Amino acid sequence: MKKLIARVAATAVALALPLSMVAPAHATAAPVTISVWTYGNVIEPQALIDYKKIHPEITIQLKKSGLDAHHQSLITSFLANKTPDIAAVEVSYSGYFRSYPQYFTDLRQAPYNSGSIQSNYLPWRWAQGVGYEGTVFGIPTDVGGMEVAYRTDLFKAHGLPTDRTKVGKLWPTWDAFFNTGKLYQKHLSKAEKASCTKLKVCYGFIDNAGTVYNAVLNQGTQKYYQNDGTKDGKLIYATNPQVSKAFQTTANALASGVGTNINSFTNDWNVGMNKGIFATILAPAWMMDYIKQQAPKTKGKWDIASLPGGGGNLGGSQLTIPKSAAHKSQAWDFIKWYLSPAEQLAIFKKYGLFPSTSVLYNNPALKNYKDPFFNNAPVGAIYGASVQTLHPIYEGKKERAIDNIIGQALSRVGLKKQSAAAAWAQALNEIKNAVG
Amino acid sequence: MATATKKPQTPWRVSTQAPAKKKKSQKAPDGAVVKSLNGNWGYLFTAPFVVMFLVFGLAPVVYSVYIAFFQWDPLDMTHTFVGIANFQRVVADDQFWLAVRNTFSIWALSTFPQMLMAIALANVLRNPRLKFKTFWRTMLLVPNITSVLAVAIVFGQLFSRDFGLVNLAREWLGMPNHINFVSETIPGHIAIATMITWRWLGYNALIFLAAMLAVPNELYEAAAIDGASSWRQFTNVTLPGIRNTITFVLVVGTIGGLQVFAEPLTLAGGESGGDSRQFSTLTLFLFEQAHMGNWGYAATIGIMITFIVLIISGINFFFTRRIANGENVQ
Repeated sequence: MKKLIARVAATAVALALPLSMVAPAHATAAPVTISVWTYGNVIEPQALIDYKKIHPEITIQLKKSGLDAHHQSLITSFLANKTPDIAAVEVSYSGYFRSYPQYFTDLRQAPYNSGSIQSNYLPWRWAQGVGYEGTVFGIPTDVGGMEVAYRTDLFKAHGLPTDRTKVGKLWPTWDAFFNTGKLYQKHLSKAEKASCTKLKVCYGFIDNAGTVYNAVLNQGTQKYYQNDGTKDGKLIYATNPQVSKAFQTTANALASGVGTNINSFTNDWNVGMNKGIFATILAPAWMMDYIKQQAPKTKGKWDIASLPGGGGNLGGSQLTIPKSAAHKSQAWDFIKWYLSPAEQLAIFKKYGLFPSTSVLYNNPALKNYKDPFFNNAPVGAIYGASVQTLHPIYEGKKERAIDNIIGQALSRVGLKKQSAAAAWAQALNEIKNAVG
Repeated sequence: MATATKKPQTPWRVSTQAPAKKKKSQKAPDGAVVKSLNGNWGYLFTAPFVVMFLVFGLAPVVYSVYIAFFQWDPLDMTHTFVGIANFQRVVADDQFWLAVRNTFSIWALSTFPQMLMAIALANVLRNPRLKFKTFWRTMLLVPNITSVLAVAIVFGQLFSRDFGLVNLAREWLGMPNHINFVSETIPGHIAIATMITWRWLGYNALIFLAAMLAVPNELYEAAAIDGASSWRQFTNVTLPGIRNTITFVLVVGTIGGLQVFAEPLTLAGGESGGDSRQFSTLTLFLFEQAHMGNWGYAATIGIMITFIVLIISGINFFFTRRIANGENVQ
């Protein structure tokens, strides 16, 4: 045992000595490992390769988890005071963390001075990283944006126009969108119609009408909470007309039968995308890459048209520096570089994550960018126009839980387990139990 | 050493003791010192287990009981004392009782068919004329060493509504109606039970096999001489011989059944357990509440689970004793 201790001590000294001698002399070039916790593809692999070229001395240790698991382990790390240097916070959780800005580094302060870069970003995206008392705890990554991705071949076969401007004009409102869906359904072949009545695969206009809910909700100015300056905000889910309108619109869409009831990101969804079971998807910009990965053979058959009722958004994150991060200045350097307009443009071109830096929206490199997978649609211009019509919305503390409860209620309506009124009443009751 | 032998022996404890014992014998020359320390050394030897148990076993339990009396959001600096409000809430919470029902439904669907199949399998493996015995026994354990999550993901694909293999196979067998396993309650429970059965069938079959091999061969020979068919041999010799093992497997299965978690989580694709909460098991419900920031309420659910386990253990104990007593009478 003594021998072991002696050996460990000797090794520690041997390791520490050269470091302590070298460190002061080459302070800037000392190798540093910064830990980054994210979910999904917030930090794209190409960025890490590029950053290594600029800063060879920095090693980025990336830990990816599932969306919920990531945020839960972040909470645990706050309690244990063992945080990563950079942590992503997704929009549906930013409402929760904005109640607890004391766990994050306030980026308004020197040496970060986030105020100097704020004007680069979309105002409502920037607001999603601001604490209830004004602290800036995160810098926005990409912006979801939302448009309608549609299959031109299926539209043609079902008697609809295929040109993206004409298609966009078919549905200025959500009602017009569902009516278009009904037209589409009329042209389904006998076999396709029979398949659904036999409880087999249902062919439909849209993958899942339930996705309409978030799109409609985000077109308003308020969601479940109102910012009253307090830590937890004021709950208005039961009285906000936008919430019941979004619910009702979606319930009507589900009842009209224009959707296939296939849930997003399931096995059936991936197969359905390839087989043309549905013709439209409400697609945020980041979903374009997913479609390309899952259905490579449908290349050129897709196009992008504008969303009914104006712009839309789904998803997006902020990169934050927890208060007890060990390498704050290196973390800030990386965030500033990765979320800069130039780098966001590069990431958009490679992966389709749409920049949150609004200074780019008039930049020809973005505006004229066309995607061959989507029939050469000018996706840069389309998504840019969409995200600029949105208003800042106060994301509340337990928004994720409320979203889940309403999602379940709509799912019950879609599967005809419950009437819309009963599902809404049950959802309100469950939300009351869950968040008060 | 007396203190050590009183405790249940686990491999881990034995290994920590061994080096310490050597040390003691090296310092042995001064007999008086050793004698006076004798009782105290015991504490040192048991310390690793006791310390680990206090830190990772008892402390969290005590802490859970403490926060069950609070409204406790993990990141809040202050927490509100609410007395027994959490307990009043849980007793009146429909979602909690739904979770209880779901848990027991999945438990029943996974335990009983599995026991029958495991006994049947073990009986096949017991057959002396079977070739490649070791191979078959090894194969039985393969599902058990597969990651739960991998199993859940693969089975989730098999059970998917539109293009899942199970529904396609039903179609092929002349049953064209697709079953929506992810949304319907009983089919969903059957799907989850299938995953559990697939995973544990081989393991339990091996336990039954071991018990069957312990039944003296003379009994079978005597039965054969009396003209008993192989079915009579099975019901009158094998089954009574493995009765205790059946109880054991039932107890272990019940403990596992109350902790079903990964399978429903993956199949439902969320912590709330599906659109009608039809997969929300007790542990999943606890997890969901904790992740909503209701740690106090989650702790209360944990305490309720403990009570349920206690009740079931009591019932198990009652039956085990009756079986044991019955054997003594024989």
